[in-house]
Amino acid sequence: MSTTFVPRARLRPGTVSGLDIARPVNLALVGVLVLVTLVAALARVLAPYDPIQPVGPLNLPPFSPGHLLGTDSIGRDLLSRTLVGVQSSWFSALAVVAVGLVVGGTVGVVAGASGGRVDAVLMRVTDLFLALPGALVAIAIVAALGPGLTHTLVGVVIVWWPYYARILRGEVKALAARPHVEAARLVGTGRFRLLSRHLLPGVVPTAIVTASLDVGNVVLLLAGLSFLGLGQQAPAPELGADTSRALSQLLSQWWVPGIPGLAVLVLTLVANLGGDAIRNLVSGRR
Amino acid sequence: MSAVATQPETVRHEAVEPVATVEGFSLSLVRDGARTEVLHDVDLVIRPGEVLGLVGESGSGKSVLALSLLGLLPQASRPQSTGTVSVTGVDMVAADEATRRRVRRDALGAIFQDPMTSLNPTMRVGRQLREVTHDDDESVRLLETVGVRDATLRLRVYPHELSGGLRQRVMAAIAVAGRPRLVVADEPTTALDVTVQAQLLDLLRELRDDFGCSVLLITHDLAVADQIADRLAVMYRGELVEVGPAAQVVRAPQHDYTRSLLASRLSLGSPRDERFAAPGADAPAAVVVEGARREFGTRRRGQTVAAVDGVDLRIAAGEALAVVGESGSGKSTLLRMIAGLDRPTSGTVEVVGGGGAQMVFQDAGSSLTPWLTVGETLAERLRGRRLPRADVRARVEDALAVVGLGPEVARARPAQLSGGQRQRVALARATIVPPSVLLCDEPTSALDAALAKSVLALIRDLRARFGMTVVFVTHDLAVARLMGDRIAVMSAGRVVEVGPPDQVIDDPQHDYTRSLLAAVPELVGRTEGAA
Amino acid sequence: MLRFLARRLGAAVVILLVLSFVVFFLQQVSPGDPARAYVGANASTATVDAEREQLGLDDPFFVQYGRFLAGAVTGDLGRSLRTRHAVTDDLQTYLPATAELVLAAFGLALVLAALFALSATRRWPGAAPLRGVLLVLASAPPFLLALVGIIVFFGRLGWLPAGGRGDYVDPGPTGMLVLDTLLHGQTDAFLDAVWHLVLPATVLAIAPAVAIGRIFRASLDGALETDYVRTARSKGLTERRVLAHHVVRNSVGPTLAMAGLQLGFMFAGVVVVEQVFSWPGIGNYLAASIPVADFPAIAGVTLVLGAVYVLTNTLVDLLQAVCDPRVVAE
Repeated sequence: MSTTFVPRARLRPGTVSGLDIARPVNLALVGVLVLVTLVAALARVLAPYDPIQPVGPLNLPPFSPGHLLGTDSIGRDLLSRTLVGVQSSWFSALAVVAVGLVVGGTVGVVAGASGGRVDAVLMRVTDLFLALPGALVAIAIVAALGPGLTHTLVGVVIVWWPYYARILRGEVKALAARPHVEAARLVGTGRFRLLSRHLLPGVVPTAIVTASLDVGNVVLLLAGLSFLGLGQQAPAPELGADTSRALSQLLSQWWVPGIPGLAVLVLTLVANLGGDAIRNLVSGRR
Repeated sequence: MSAVATQPETVRHEAVEPVATVEGFSLSLVRDGARTEVLHDVDLVIRPGEVLGLVGESGSGKSVLALSLLGLLPQASRPQSTGTVSVTGVDMVAADEATRRRVRRDALGAIFQDPMTSLNPTMRVGRQLREVTHDDDESVRLLETVGVRDATLRLRVYPHELSGGLRQRVMAAIAVAGRPRLVVADEPTTALDVTVQAQLLDLLRELRDDFGCSVLLITHDLAVADQIADRLAVMYRGELVEVGPAAQVVRAPQHDYTRSLLASRLSLGSPRDERFAAPGADAPAAVVVEGARREFGTRRRGQTVAAVDGVDLRIAAGEALAVVGESGSGKSTLLRMIAGLDRPTSGTVEVVGGGGAQMVFQDAGSSLTPWLTVGETLAERLRGRRLPRADVRARVEDALAVVGLGPEVARARPAQLSGGQRQRVALARATIVPPSVLLCDEPTSALDAALAKSVLALIRDLRARFGMTVVFVTHDLAVARLMGDRIAVMSAGRVVEVGPPDQVIDDPQHDYTRSLLAAVPELVGRTEGAA
Repeated sequence: MLRFLARRLGAAVVILLVLSFVVFFLQQVSPGDPARAYVGANASTATVDAEREQLGLDDPFFVQYGRFLAGAVTGDLGRSLRTRHAVTDDLQTYLPATAELVLAAFGLALVLAALFALSATRRWPGAAPLRGVLLVLASAPPFLLALVGIIVFFGRLGWLPAGGRGDYVDPGPTGMLVLDTLLHGQTDAFLDAVWHLVLPATVLAIAPAVAIGRIFRASLDGALETDYVRTARSKGLTERRVLAHHVVRNSVGPTLAMAGLQLGFMFAGVVVVEQVFSWPGIGNYLAASIPVADFPAIAGVTLVLGAVYVLTNTLVDLLQAVCDPRVVAE
């Protein structure tokens, strides 16, 4: 079937860093991934102060006594705000990837396994979504729904699932073309069992790898939307928005806009390196 | 190692200076993270104007030797070597890249195995030739020399618009364009049909005669090398075990390995199994094919081609029918229709009686589900019988024993098995509940000769044991003769001739059968120098 | 080839129709009432109703969509709620600055990507550290890069301006300062324009550069392993010739596809970058429209940038077909 505008390159999972690293390092990187998730989960417990209430002097620099990362222009503790912001960013990104994977994966597997007309229709729709500039459409969707975290997540999922549909459909197609599926059919294996025993297990590694390599991208996209005021609304802490609101302090108190931005960098790095590590471990290369 | 090897004293006494000399050459490469020795102390001389056949099974190191001669060892696998490989006096392993490149340009030509991938897909044939001829007129002349018709028109096309045989001819033209002293041909005919293979072998020989170059013909098939080689070299596990005039190597092999290679080769004269008696005319039918036709749509809308174009066959219960044909003849489509994996567009294909049909595929590796253990795969055919778990295990182990595998194989996954073991597992799956018809789609074409022979013997044993009807598809007449009580020859979707092996092979009725027979490489053991 | 061309262009038209429908649909579901917004919060219900009548907001859905589509085709995208100008006029004002920034960044991204890939493939010295730095930078959100860039190059070093396009007036005709000043031979203005462009363009270029470079590198490495490259080498061609004629040509296909995709991400990234650098472009216009729910403006920007994206990718498809004859045959 002819497909237009399918960015083939994007659909082939490769590593983000292209680095080839040893197994213990890979395991350590996955460990960091788990650690970040734990910190994000316990953010409210770990935060020393209420992230929304002013609790100290204004614009304290980092490493001030009592305020490890300093305070912002109205005296809120930056460490507490960043921790809670990380929680929101991290789990939002995981949620987008998970929902995208479930929706896109279902579409892709159904299309790839059914073939024929069902496949043609589902993939036409998927290709149409892929042909639109995703990030821009996400902005338009959130702007139309009205700002707010839920709307942002819905908007991003709407433009994100088609990637998974494409990748997993291709994987299912490739597997279904292998003789082992015909051999299983010949043995008298039923449709459901064919799918669950002879097709799906082969798709799982690709799904895991694709998803884990994608978390970093979603963190960045969500941070960008938040920066434009399309995420959580003030006064709730959110990394992109916190940077955006403090832009005027850029040259006087760099840390107020800078620290939330740095937190995004750390999250993305951890996600990308962790994704690479998972890919290396799953593909069994060293 | 010295940068440029001087001519070693030992070969000076030869009447003519050799084109290439391999001396005490050992080579190790890094594969899957471990360094392994792939060539050990190889000595070989290629004389001017001779065709030297280098024979060995897959993994014997023959292709690596070819790459060494071309100076194209993959740097990624960090080659380390001792000894020398010199072509026209230049060490092709130790010399610097610019020097080796000059030798490749001036003295070497190469033809590789896969004509589908060996030409640049995004460059017109003419430009790929011009890179070596520097002149279109010369390119046309060369293409005509290698037997490409409409040569001027062919310059304008891309490789994907040519057939495999034509592409390999283009490769041959590129190889001889620079008037090389030596042409290295690495399995040049393996991907080709047998009739095209015969033409290409003739061509290689003509090129040697016309251009006076030497040819190193690398192949896994002793008979192919023997078609045109003056001398034969036999390689086994990285060592040259035997070198000599073709006639001597074929008629009086010195080394055990050469003897086993010769013994495992199937020919039109191999002894047939006497166990099976051809069924009488009144035997009940197991498979009935009537007017079967299968069309496939083409790129162009509304246009179809018939892969199977009106086939009538009646296969008796307990009979073995071998279906022979070249790629695209429709033999696999016919088999798939009997298996029920495909439906005829018109006509009927019927498997009579209970028991059904089971199939063994060409690539056993990919016909087994990679993440299931052998035990799980075999047990799948027992589902629905509601057997207790211990019974299932016993049946699985019995089935494995029948195909000559131990019970521990049940716990292995396909990736952990060798090619021969996988094909045995595939046979065990087909016969754990004996079917009334066993379908085989070139089950041994990917295996080395000795392995192939043992798998063929196993299939005959299974046939005798379970009294199955067998339909065996192959491109190899010698295999067909061995496996079938009758042979059906297919060409362009039709069965052109059916009959007992002796009749089809000794007294072919159809022109196509005759050309197929003429192209089968047989060991002749020609004497050196005889053209 | 002609059939291929027709098919791709036909697909582009379908996608543009879908894009226009999506934008229109979003406009319909957005909570704001354009009629109320145009006449002002203090207007009477009657005035609002009259405005609704005037705008045709009570017409059936598809009649409104037809009108919207006809307007879009003829260059009428409605009136911005914020600036009160026609959206088309606003876009004409702001688009050239964005085009200049995106083109500069895209060019820079391609150059960096090529450097990134070739340095890795050819094992140039310094390739590994360069890749390490680029990888970390590619994980940073663009607004953080912009921040750091301003703090370092404006705040500390004073080498580059913190934002804007400079004080020179564009002499026309393209609206792209760098190009126009060069056309008119205004050296000072030209240098000033470039000076202002360096930081935002670099910030915008980094993430796409790494993404494109990774694909380019993987394709190069893949092509180097192929049988036809072995054939080319067996011909005795120089390594430079093998690379130029056999490897690169066969690697540009996936790279082009990635470049097309990254352009889409740049259109979103430019909104953020323009905001930080006070770049008077379409992104800043969009960023200003979002908080006040100026949906005609948001719709207009999405439609125009989306159309550019779709057309660019059609072009990429055609380029791929030119590069690889097998694409047409598929």
